[in-house]
Parts: sequence; C-alpha cells; structure tokens
Amino acid sequence: MILAVLFANSVGNVLIERFNGVPAEERLTWRSFLVKLGAENLKGVKNEELLVACHKSVYIVYTMLGDVSIFLVGKDEYDELALAEAIFIITGAVKDICGKPPTERVFLDKYGRICLCLDEIVWNGLLENTDKDRIKRLIRLKPPSEF
Amino acid sequence: SKIVAGRKLVGSIVRTSHDLSPSPVTDPSLAMAESSGKTLMDLISADPTPVPAQSTSSSSSSSTPSPAAASAASSMHQPMSTKTTLGEKKSKRATLMQIQSDTISVAKAALNPVKANIMPQRQRQRKKPVSYTQLARSIHELAATLDQKSSQKQLVNHVFPKLAVYNSVDPSLAPSLLMLNQQCEDRNVLRYVYYYLARILSDTGLSPGGGIPTPNWDALADIDAGGGVTRADVVPRIVNQLTSEASNSEVEFHARRLQALKALTYSPSENSELLSKLYEIVFGLLDKFKDYFPVPCRSTDYISCRFQVADVPHKRKKGVFGTKGGDKESIIRSNLQYAAMSALRRLPLDPGNPVFLHRAAQGVSFADPVAVRHSLEILAELAARDPYTVAMTLEKLASPAGALQDILHLHDVLARVALARLCHGISRARALDERPDIRAQFNSILYQLLLDPSERVCYEAILCILGKYDNTERHGMDERASGWYRLTREILKLPEATSKDKSNKAKRPQPLIKLVMRRLESSFRSFSRPVLHAAARVVQEMGKSRAAAFAMGLEDIDESVHVNAFSDALDDAETNDSSHPEGIRRTSSISAGPGRNETIASLLASLMEVVRTTVACECVYVRGMVVKALIWMQSPHESLDELKSIIASELSDPAWPASLVNDVLLTLHARFKATPDMAVILLEIARIFATKVPGKIDADVLQLLWKTCLVGAGPDGKHTALEAVTIVLDLPPPQPGSMSGLTSIDRVSASDPKSALALQKLVQAAVWFLGENANYAASEYAWESATPPGTALMMLDADKMVAAASSRNPTLAGALTRLQRCAFSGSWEVRIVAIQALTTIAIRSGEPFRLQIYEFLNTLAEGGVQSQLSEMHLSNGEDQGVSGTGLGVLITPMLKVLDEMYQGQDELIKEIRNHDNANKEWKDEELKKLYETHERLLDFVSLFCYIPRAKYLPLGPISAKLIDTYRTKHNITASSGSTDPTVVATGISDLIYESTQPAPAASNSSGLDDDLVNAWAANLGDDGLLGNNAPAMSRVNDFIAGGGTDAPDVDEENVFSRPSVGYDDMWAKTLLETNDQEEDDVRSGSSSPDSTGSVESSISSHFGGMNYPSLFSSKPSSSSQTTGKSGGSKYQSTYEGYSSPIREEPPPPYSYSEPQSRESFENPMAAGSGSRSYESDDEEPRKSTGTRFGTALYDFTAGGDDELNLTAEEELEIEYEVDGWFYVKKKRPGRDGKMAGLVPVLYVNQS
Repeated sequence: MILAVLFANSVGNVLIERFNGVPAEERLTWRSFLVKLGAENLKGVKNEELLVACHKSVYIVYTMLGDVSIFLVGKDEYDELALAEAIFIITGAVKDICGKPPTERVFLDKYGRICLCLDEIVWNGLLENTDKDRIKRLIRLKPPSEF
Repeated sequence: SKIVAGRKLVGSIVRTSHDLSPSPVTDPSLAMAESSGKTLMDLISADPTPVPAQSTSSSSSSSTPSPAAASAASSMHQPMSTKTTLGEKKSKRATLMQIQSDTISVAKAALNPVKANIMPQRQRQRKKPVSYTQLARSIHELAATLDQKSSQKQLVNHVFPKLAVYNSVDPSLAPSLLMLNQQCEDRNVLRYVYYYLARILSDTGLSPGGGIPTPNWDALADIDAGGGVTRADVVPRIVNQLTSEASNSEVEFHARRLQALKALTYSPSENSELLSKLYEIVFGLLDKFKDYFPVPCRSTDYISCRFQVADVPHKRKKGVFGTKGGDKESIIRSNLQYAAMSALRRLPLDPGNPVFLHRAAQGVSFADPVAVRHSLEILAELAARDPYTVAMTLEKLASPAGALQDILHLHDVLARVALARLCHGISRARALDERPDIRAQFNSILYQLLLDPSERVCYEAILCILGKYDNTERHGMDERASGWYRLTREILKLPEATSKDKSNKAKRPQPLIKLVMRRLESSFRSFSRPVLHAAARVVQEMGKSRAAAFAMGLEDIDESVHVNAFSDALDDAETNDSSHPEGIRRTSSISAGPGRNETIASLLASLMEVVRTTVACECVYVRGMVVKALIWMQSPHESLDELKSIIASELSDPAWPASLVNDVLLTLHARFKATPDMAVILLEIARIFATKVPGKIDADVLQLLWKTCLVGAGPDGKHTALEAVTIVLDLPPPQPGSMSGLTSIDRVSASDPKSALALQKLVQAAVWFLGENANYAASEYAWESATPPGTALMMLDADKMVAAASSRNPTLAGALTRLQRCAFSGSWEVRIVAIQALTTIAIRSGEPFRLQIYEFLNTLAEGGVQSQLSEMHLSNGEDQGVSGTGLGVLITPMLKVLDEMYQGQDELIKEIRNHDNANKEWKDEELKKLYETHERLLDFVSLFCYIPRAKYLPLGPISAKLIDTYRTKHNITASSGSTDPTVVATGISDLIYESTQPAPAASNSSGLDDDLVNAWAANLGDDGLLGNNAPAMSRVNDFIAGGGTDAPDVDEENVFSRPSVGYDDMWAKTLLETNDQEEDDVRSGSSSPDSTGSVESSISSHFGGMNYPSLFSSKPSSSSQTTGKSGGSKYQSTYEGYSSPIREEPPPPYSYSEPQSRESFENPMAAGSGSRSYESDDEEPRKSTGTRFGTALYDFTAGGDDELNLTAEEELEIEYEVDGWFYVKKKRPGRDGKMAGLVPVLYVNQS
C-alpha cells in the first residue's frame, strides 16, 4: 500500500497530499515528519536524487524536483524500491506536464493536471499506470491503448 | 517590492483564514482539503504567482523556522497583519479561532486593492482569491451555459484546476457535475468530472453519515446554490449514472466506460448493493472476453491453451507500445480487460469463490501489462489463503511454455514482483505435497526471477526464498530455516526454452547463493540510496533466516562446504541422462578455475565486507539498516570488535534520530529471541547505546533487553551477562555542574543536560537492576545457602569476609563491590538506589555476603568511612548529613532488619544450646514463640524485597526443623495456594516467548533446574504484566512481529519526556491508592526504587517511568520500616504470610492468575516490584481460599500485636479462621493504622 503521496514546496508547505489507509489522527504527524525530513535532508540535493528513510516497517522515499519536494510513504510490497519506481513515474509525469523541473509557480499553474496524473498513477493506494504515454492519454480521457 | 510584500501577506492571511476553519478535522479527505486549501490559496487566486515562502499550515509551521520571520517581515509593511502573525506563532488553534473572523474581514479588505492593481481581469471571481463558494457557483453557472465554447474552456483552465486544491467537493456540486457528465463533449472537462465524482464517492467512506463534511464549506458557506443537498441524495444518482456508463458497450464510449468504472471503485466497500453491481459489471466485462482465455483449462483443452498462450505475447506487445497497428477490436478489448481487472483489484477479495478466481486467472494472459499485474496480485493474495486451488487453476500456465513464463519478460516490475509472491505461495504450500511437479514448476519460475534485471524483483525473489513471508510463529521459524537451507544449497537450472534467448553464461546451473551474493555485492556498489537500503534489508533478512537455521539446528549447515559441490552433484546427475553435454564441459572447465574454492562462508565474508563499507553512506537510514543487517549476520562465535566499533562510531553521529536508535535496540531484542546464546554479545552492544546515546534510547526497552538477556544467558552466561549490564555503573554518572569533565570520561557521551539526566536515570536503573537480579545471576540464595549462620559470626573481620565472599561467589562479590562503590560515588539518587539494592542482596544472600553488607551499612551509617571514601561529595554542594552520604535515615531501618535477624539467630542458637545441654524437648509455647519470631521477621523482611516465604528462614537454616515441627503440629501450611505444580507449568507454557524462544523449552526439558524455572516463572509474571500494559513490551512485540506503521514522532523535545509524563500520572495514582490503604506508611525506605523512600515523589517518578524488570516480584515496599510504625504494616504482611500463595520456587506469577486485576492498576513500574504485588495480594487469596465477608458486631479492643481493633458495623474481609479467631482485613485502615489482624470469631457476623 502506498500510504501517502505528498508534494511540498521548498519551505515545507504542503501542495498536494494523498493518504491511503492512514488514520486521520496520524496524518498530521506524518505530514510534519515528512516535511521535517525534507527540510533536514533535501538541501542541495540534485533533482530526482532519491533519498530514503524508514520508520518501523514503513518506507519513505523522497526527492526534489525543481522547487517541489515529493514524498512517498509505503509499506509491504511498496518498499524502498517499489516506491522509487513510483516516484520515478510521478516525477516523470510532473516533468512532462511542466516541461521541466517545475518552479513552484509552474507547478501551481499545472496543478489540476498534476492532480489528474496522480489520480492515474496512484489509485486507491496502489500503483496503477506506469507508462508515460498511457498516463497522458488517460488524463485526456482517451483509452489507454489507442487504435 | 511593497506590492509583492503585500501580496505575500495577502496570501498568508487568506491561508490563515482557511487554517482557522472552526471544526476539527475528522474526515481524512477533508483534512487534505483543508490543508491543501490553506496552503494553496495562491493557486486559487486567479493569477498564480510564486508563492511566498510562508508556512501557515499547522502542519508545517512547527518545522519551518522561516515562515515566522517571513510573516514578521511582511508585518512591517502591513501592521494590520501583526495579529495574524502572532497567532500563527503561537499556533494555538483556540486563539486562531478567536481572531478568525476579523482576520478574514481584514484579508478581504486588504485583498481588493492589491489584487486589483496587478491582475488582468478576465473573470469576475478572479478579482480576489476565489473561494470555494465562488468556484462552486461558477461550476453551476458554467454547467448551465455549456453550449458556449468559452464555458468549457473556463472549466478546464480555471475552475476545475482550482477546485482541485480542495481535493474534494461537496455533494451540492454533484447535480451540476452529473449534468456536465451527460451533456459535455469535451474530453478534458469530462475527465475532471470523473475525477470529482470519484472524490464525492470516496468521501462517503471516510466520513460515514454524510452531512456537511468539511469545515471549509461551512466556513465559507455563503453559498445559496447548494442548500439542502446531502450526500445521501446524490450518491445513488452518481452511482446510477456511472454504472450505466460502465455498462455502455458503444465503441466510441469505451474510454469513458473505463473512467466510470474507475470512479465507481472509489465508493466505499460497505455499500454491498453497489459492490454486487460492480462485481456484476466487472465479471460481465471479463466474461465477454473469456473466449480469449482458456478457462477452465481442462486437460482436453491443452492444445488450445498452448495456442492461446502463444498468441498472447504479440497482443501484449501492442498493449504496451502500440498506438498504431493492431485491430481496433482487440485493442478495445484489451482496454476493457484492463479496466475490469483494475476494478477487480480494488474490490474486496472473494476467496473461495471459483468465479472470482477464474476471472482473476484470466488476467494472466491479458495483453495489457497493468491488467496482468493486477491479476497476478490478486492471485498471489488468493494463493496465500488457498494455494491448492490457485495452483490447480494455474497449473498449465506455469508450464515451461506457459503464460507465467512470459511474465518473466513482461515490462512491468510490479507484475514480476507479484509473480514472485505467487510462485512462493504455491511452491511452499504444504497442501501441494502430493503434487511436487507443480511445486517444482512454480519454484523454477521463482528461482529464475533471481536473474531479473530489476532489483525490486530480484530482492523479492530472495526474500521469498528466504521464507520471509511466513509470519506465523513456529511455522515462520521452520520456513526461515529451510529458506536459508534452500538458498545455500539449491541450484538454479534454467529451463532450456528460456535459455535460448539468454546469454550463454546463464546456461550453466548456478548455485543460488552465488547468484544472490553477486547480485547483492553489486547492489552495494550502487549510488542509489533506495537500492542500498533495500540491499541491506535483504542482508538483514538473510541474517534472520540464517539465525533461524542455526537455532533450529538444521543438519548440514556447515558453511565451509564448497558451493560448487552442489552444482557438481547436479552435473553428475545430468551426465547420466546426457542431456546437457555442453553444459558439463563448461562446468568442468570453470570448476578448475579460481571460483572453485568458494565456500558459503567465504561468499558471506566477502559480502559482509561490502556491507560494512556501506556504513560510509551519508544517509543515516541506510546506515541504520546496515547496522541491523550486521547485527543479524553476527554469529555468536565471531569476534564482536568490528561490529562494536562500527556501532560506537555510528552512534556518535548526532544525525541519528532517536527512533532509529531505538529500532536498532529493538533489533537486538529480536536477535536475542532468535539466538539466546548471543545474550552477552547483545548486552555488550546494548551497553554502547547506554553510554553513547543515553538521551535517545528508550530506557524501558533497554531494561527489558537486560532482563531477557540475563535470563536467556543460561546458568553459564549469567555472570557475564550481569557484568555486561552493570558495566554501565562503572561509568561515573555526570554530576551537576561538572559537565565539562564528562567528555574525558571513558566513552560517556552525555554532552547536554538532557542526555546527562538520561544517563543518570539509566545508571539508577542499572543499580536497581543489579540489586534485584544479582542473586539470580549469582545463584546465591539465603534459603539455599550451605553456610551455617554460625560461620558468619566468626568472620567479623572485613578483609576476611571479602576474601571469603569473592572466593565463594565472584559474581555476587563483584556486584556487591559495584554497589558499594555506587553507594559512595553515585549522585544522591543513585546512592539511595544503591543502598536499597544492597539491602535486597543482604536479605536474599546467605553468609558471608549478608554480613559483609551489614558491616558496610553499619560503617556507612556511622560515617566512619567518609574520610576515606567520599571526598568527592564535598564538591557537589549537597548537605552530606551525619554520615556524609545523606543516607542515614534510609539506612537505619535496613540495619534494623538485619540487626533483628542476627539477634534472632543468636537467640535461637542460645536456645538450642540450652535445650541440647539440658536434653530437653521443645515445648509448644517455645516453638510457638520461635514461630512467631520467624513470621515477624519474615514480614519485616518482606517489606524490603521479595523473598519466597515458604523457604526463607530469617533465623537461619538451623531453625528450619523446629519451624517445620511447629507447622506440622498446628497444621499450618506454609505454601497454601500455590503448591499446585500446574500453576508453574501453565505459566511456563504461556510464556510470551513461546515458540520463538528455545530457552524455556530447554528449562522445561531439563525440568530440574529450579533456579531457571524460578527465573522464568518470575520473569514470566513480569512479562505477563508487561504484555498487558507496558509500552516497552508492546513495542518490542510490535517490532518483532514486524508491525507498526503508526506515524513517527516528530517533536524531538518529546522524545525524552514523553514516557515519564504518562507515568507520572500513573505514579500519582499509585501514590493515592497506596495512601488510601496505608495512610501514613508510605514514606520510608524500601528495596525498590519506585518506593518513595523519603525521596520526593518527583524524583521517584523518574523510576516510575521505567519498568524495572526483576526476576523477583518484590513485596510491597510502601510500608513503613520505622520502628514506631512497623506495627500496622506488619499485620498487613502477616496476613499475606498466611493466606497469599506462599511461593514455593518458582513463585507463581501473579499476573497469570489475575490478569484483570492489573487493569485497574496500570502503573507499569509495578513490573515485578513495589506496589504491584500489593493489589494482587488482595485479589489472590479471594480466588484461592474463597474469601468471605462480614461485619463487626461489636467493638473489640486488640489485646496483642497481632490482634485488630474493631468498631461495630465495620466491614471486613475474612481471610481464614484459626482457633476461634478470624484473621480479617478491613476495607480501610483503622485509627491505629492497622489493616488486618485477628479478631474473635464471635465478634464477626459473616455475610
């Protein structure tokens, strides 16, 4: 299960978050944990360099893309590597939409489409589509494979 | 720049206004909405500008220091915002709510001019940040004017994206959305519509009951359009529309069909009607294409199966890459199959339903890779429950040319991961014992996955082979052990079919271990942190399986075997059927090469070398995982130095978060449970934690580790184990004001006051632990002592005593020395605990130890040694008191008890001589007197520490016979209540460590080692208790069970203080309860540190914060020892002496017979000590002897010490009757402070 997907800006404001199967009372803690993790470790990190953390049996993979930091929290089959896979797809999709590693402004410009993309990539806590073109088609309401 | 600042401010204010939404967030999705809303109001304002660096969300404000500054800066320009800024700083919700309304109005006032200056006007709403209300209104408006192109454009470009910030929408929007859904043609609009419909559906699940779900909407609800629309109204409409779309079979519609189906899966699973509808749609879709899949794959269909299967990969290719080519029909089919399978994956699993299984299995051959993945994931989950049926269904697919083989090359990592799990589930299923062929097929696929190019898949395969996924306790051990065996022994033999397209190299059968090692080694050279972390984790899992293999004593574990030996054997086999001539040649030529001499041990060694270098990784979590891996791979016989130095240097790094440090500590626990032999090694490692990062570790967990290790170390290791624990004491605790000196002291790193305090607490804990457990570790008990009391009296010379003591029992002598040192050299708190510990040991040990301590305490009380030993205390500014240690008050009662014991012994010896000389029989009165003295002393002693009353002889071994005589004469059973051996037996079998713990089993089988049984039983009592309510125990168990996903602690401030806060309360509670029962008897010293013992309760509560694990369960220590007051509590104990189960060794664990009784009394410090036994003693006799109740008929005045004053009408508990007297207990102490005693039977009316 991908427990959380969280986008934050460079100062730790949450831009997008999607929780799956995380009790409401724990979300705030997770949110601040992730933001803190980012604040401590993401300084000077290259775009898309993956960082890792874990807490009990939960894995966290996070990275920086332009002005935006992206965090993924998962457990069970979504271990570090599966999350790395997922974050790779997410960053790819975001880059595609924004045309480059986004500034915060560009990110917010494209906010709606990013949400749709995320909707296609992570569906109910499970990784869904991984193929770029396919995601692109799906957010325009085209079938996954076209004829 | 002023304008910019103003805009920033505006953003800040607006966000704040959302932050202030009045109702607490309960609905998770709404929480998202709220937080997104507040952080993203800039987005909602029509002109997205770089968002100012401000954090106003409650979530992030704590962690980012800059926002406060930023808002402060902006407040310079705009004084009116000061209020807001202050509010933020305080981040007090209540305050914020108060100022909410004026903030909003201020914000509104401020917004208009500023925004108006900058923004191009295109839309009415965009003059200011668009509120949710406005967005909602424009959706209604635009939905009504859909025919205009501009409406659609606005929706797609402005309204919908902004609405996305809210993440969820309220039901009042649903009608408009549904209208858009029906009438709009624009794909982009429709996509958003599906998105929002899904949001509305998913909301229901998260906030059942519907109603008005979000604070935002409430706060901003000047909306008129949405009035009165509830979720209950709209959800059925949405569902209806979506289901009809999902069933629409028009070709042009099929993309929408997909989205409709997807949106439907977001609806909560409690809705069974909707669920069955969904199943129907999904199965319908799959059913339509079933001709494409060979279900059910009966043997007659085999040819068609093969044909179909062979046909599939082409189609699949199109599914993956093709947008062109391929016939339209099959592509549409594949799309719908995908949609159906994805939906099925989100539906609840339906094990036992053959249709469900077949539909899922269908997916294996689908063209769409994502559909295949989902299908495999479903199958893997089903296989975990019912491997047999799944295996039968998939039998044909697993064959060498089957569809499962194709998945090996499928371009979807998670699909291959799911394949690994599926194969593991089936190949290990015991249900398939009769079908080794099937198991072998799946096994072979699993092994092939080891060669997968993706680390994720390869690791999954390794973990599967290692047996990680069998979590059932005993079964898990077996699985892991045999997993290790498989990994080290088995050979990957590639099927010929696939070896064609592989490189030649892979053709040769490879020992799994070699493949795995090579793979891991190369992973450790990776620069990717996730890869490093995962590789370290795999090594850790290897270590676990290896430990299990050793623990299970698997034959054939010898790691010096040459790995190629196995493949040679295999080659031989192949030579015989001469199917692989080329392979043999290759093998033999390589066999002669350098790789020839590889053994498992050498492979492991070289892997571990690489692992060790990984501690250089800058990511602390990777290093943490590496340390855990090293701990698991450490074998009991290897040198520990390297690991120790790695851990020591790691812990010196301040970057390690407390949670990670504790995780490693918990790993030590887990390691210990897997290999009890390693107790000493693990204690040594734990010691590093205690000394290096006392402030970061969880003292409870460390204590528990000490205890379990001490017990687990077995008779031989106990000494070393105790040494390892108490070596903490050799580190001089930091003294207030002398912090600077600390750094020079051997290895102690208590660089800040916080960790200094933590270290001190740890030292106290260790001292207490030592006192409580030294006798166990040394196997020295007064009641088993061989030395007659007389000998002791002849050894009054201190030097001789010490010599005698250390020659007799070096362990105990060592402990004594340490404690004596602590009694002088520790801080004030440590000294108190040390004295108490010494007394405990004095009482429990035979001679000459008791005498040695007696002498020491005497000296201490007189202060005679001060000049020699305690100079160092002159510096710490405390009032040293008469003795120079400030311990006089404490020592007096302790000395008194020893005095009385010795006096009693003297008198007894005198009496015996008299009798012997005069050749007289002992008269009954004399015996009675003796017996009374015995009991009195027992009670007295019990105040200090737990002793087994049935065996303990305060008058020395010599008194045993006489007391026995008296008991037999008067029919007094010393051990009423617990003679039943089953108590012990049950206790042992109920051990918390059950199956994973070989030690208790061992003690059972040997059966005769009283000592060990004693330890386990006592220990078990503690653990039972701990298991019920001690955080440490549950933390350990959680960890070992692999559970725990709850959110991490963020606030570091709390890491330290957290446990004690909670316990303080509990402590206070205990204090009150004790007061109730023994009003003024709570003050003086006692053996366990959780008694107040003339220490202020605030200090004692530090102890309360730890679970002092003891191998003994101490007697209530809350009674008075001062002479004047001993009377009252004595009775209380006397009653215990008679009626509570007097423990034969081993003492039965209270918590087992009365687990509930503990619930009203959840002070965790009660573990094995202090007042814990108080309550259980109340409860126990009621159970065992059937306590009766009664009321006093008349006033009664006590005529002796053992009698009890009665006031008429007083309610009483009758414990037992003896010779016309009732031994009764009052509900509350009488005016004389007595709780219990003897009263004439006639004075009591039994109820």
